[in-house]
Amino acid sequence: MVSLPTPAKWALRLVVIAYVFLLVGWPVITLAQNAFADGLASFQAAFSDPDVVHSLVVTVEISLWAVAINTVFGVGMALLLVRYEFPGKRALSALIDLPMSVSPVVIGLALLLVYNGRTGWFGPTLEAHGIVVIFNSPGMIMATCFVSLPLVVREVVPVLTEIGNDQEQAATSLGANALQTLRRITLPAIKWAVVYGVVLTLARSLGEFGALKIVSGNLTGQTQTAPLVVEQKYNNFAQGEAYAVSFLLVLISVLCIVVVTMLRPKESSS
Amino acid sequence: MSIDISHVNKRFGDFVALDDVSVSLPTGQLTALLGPSGGGKSTLLRIIAGLEKADTGTITIEGADATRTAPQKRNVGFVFQHYAVFKHMTVAKNVAFGLEIRNKPKAEIADRVDELLKLVHLSQFAHRLPSQLSGGQRQRMALARALAIQPKVLLLDEPFGALDAKVRKELREWLRRLHDEVPVTTVFVTHDQEEAMEVADEIVVINDGRIEQVGTPDQLYDEPASDFVMDFLGEVTELGDVRLRPHDIEIARTPDLAGSTAADILRLTRVGFEVRLVVGTEAGREVSVVTTQAHSRSLGLQEGERIWITPATGAATVPAMRSLLAG
Repeated sequence: MVSLPTPAKWALRLVVIAYVFLLVGWPVITLAQNAFADGLASFQAAFSDPDVVHSLVVTVEISLWAVAINTVFGVGMALLLVRYEFPGKRALSALIDLPMSVSPVVIGLALLLVYNGRTGWFGPTLEAHGIVVIFNSPGMIMATCFVSLPLVVREVVPVLTEIGNDQEQAATSLGANALQTLRRITLPAIKWAVVYGVVLTLARSLGEFGALKIVSGNLTGQTQTAPLVVEQKYNNFAQGEAYAVSFLLVLISVLCIVVVTMLRPKESSS
Repeated sequence: MSIDISHVNKRFGDFVALDDVSVSLPTGQLTALLGPSGGGKSTLLRIIAGLEKADTGTITIEGADATRTAPQKRNVGFVFQHYAVFKHMTVAKNVAFGLEIRNKPKAEIADRVDELLKLVHLSQFAHRLPSQLSGGQRQRMALARALAIQPKVLLLDEPFGALDAKVRKELREWLRRLHDEVPVTTVFVTHDQEEAMEVADEIVVINDGRIEQVGTPDQLYDEPASDFVMDFLGEVTELGDVRLRPHDIEIARTPDLAGSTAADILRLTRVGFEVRLVVGTEAGREVSVVTTQAHSRSLGLQEGERIWITPATGAATVPAMRSLLAG
């Protein structure tokens, strides 16, 4: 630790607190204030609208699917990246980070190009077999998976690297096959990293807007998700309802972070 | 023979880890694979366990060809340098792991775990987590875990390498006693020649991916097959045309013995009961000599004085390379 003189310490703290407050704290507080401006009226208005309720259900469904898929693939890819050597490993590692650096709108457009039912690469073939991807749940799940792809992988990779493969080799020498080793040794060892990745993925998936706006078609009462409803309500001068739904989304995200923060100390003590 | 290794080669990229290694390790004995770091001894052990694959060559364990057998089917106990404990399981669960994998009845597992924990003196720690144990205790737990599956062979990779000197010494004595109690064929890797000599029935010296010599500790010490083995097993000095151990040189104050060489004491260092001398011969060579403090006092050795030195009768010697090259 670098030791700073006391005034400098206080100045530094002040700068950090001011930065976080102006950027995050104040806007969120204002949002909450606006949501509760008329007491619970905005909430009542929002939740008596079946389209809003439906959008929340769609958001939760899509998010749960994305979390489930990304957890399985995230752990699998982390294992692949850490435990195996293969040509193109660095390229794969870079590709996994791509969703972090590409705008979700671009991701939505890219999926649209490949899977749309008329001119896409796979779209017409899939639709001929009764699988509609674009403007439908499969495409929405794909878009959400895409944007939240790195979160589980990037949580699990450092933990896998740190624990090394000694325990796995020990399990193997004691007679455990690959599946038994995974279930009894590897998964318990990376448990908290996976939980953390899952919570981050969930938070990210619930809030996804850009990619979903393009891929879902934003069909009210059908494929519209909660963040899309917020935009629509806001544009339709139903700001109160927009704030109410926004507040609910923020609340879920904050809950996710609280859960993670409560889980973390347990990890270090065990 | 319990483990037969025949013509095994292994490369890591350009690095040759094992170069046409063939050796048989005897049943029921404690064998040490001894050599410097990077010499290939750990690689050989891991190939026996199936944790690495040999590029060419075959491994036979108890008469059955194991070259292509998956590690989990070899029934080999493996103990790692850094313990490789299952951190999220209690000591008892760690030891029970191999038995649970084999779907043994619960009561049988409990009995066997009790018995093994007693054997490694960890009974009172059964319900602790490995993080609450010391290094030596963790390694004993790892040993019990490996023994639980009643392996055909027990392999230990630098088992005491991560422990401090005192615990290390205790554990190696304990391992020797344990092996006498549970006589399973055991192979352990070490770079510490003292450890190998003290614990092993037989030592395989490995250097640069090749086997230098196989023999009992006494054979290796008394009849080293090469300069490398001689150097590796202890201090070596040169006297005339031969290389020998500094303590195998006899010191006299008068030139009575045939073939004795005159030399002056250049440096004299006392370490406890031992006195280490560096003496200069008339040919301008420096020779190391080790004697006891009592002997040194009785001869009245002092720096700068003249002595006559002779190789002791029966000393292990090899021809000195330098004189051969010079000749």
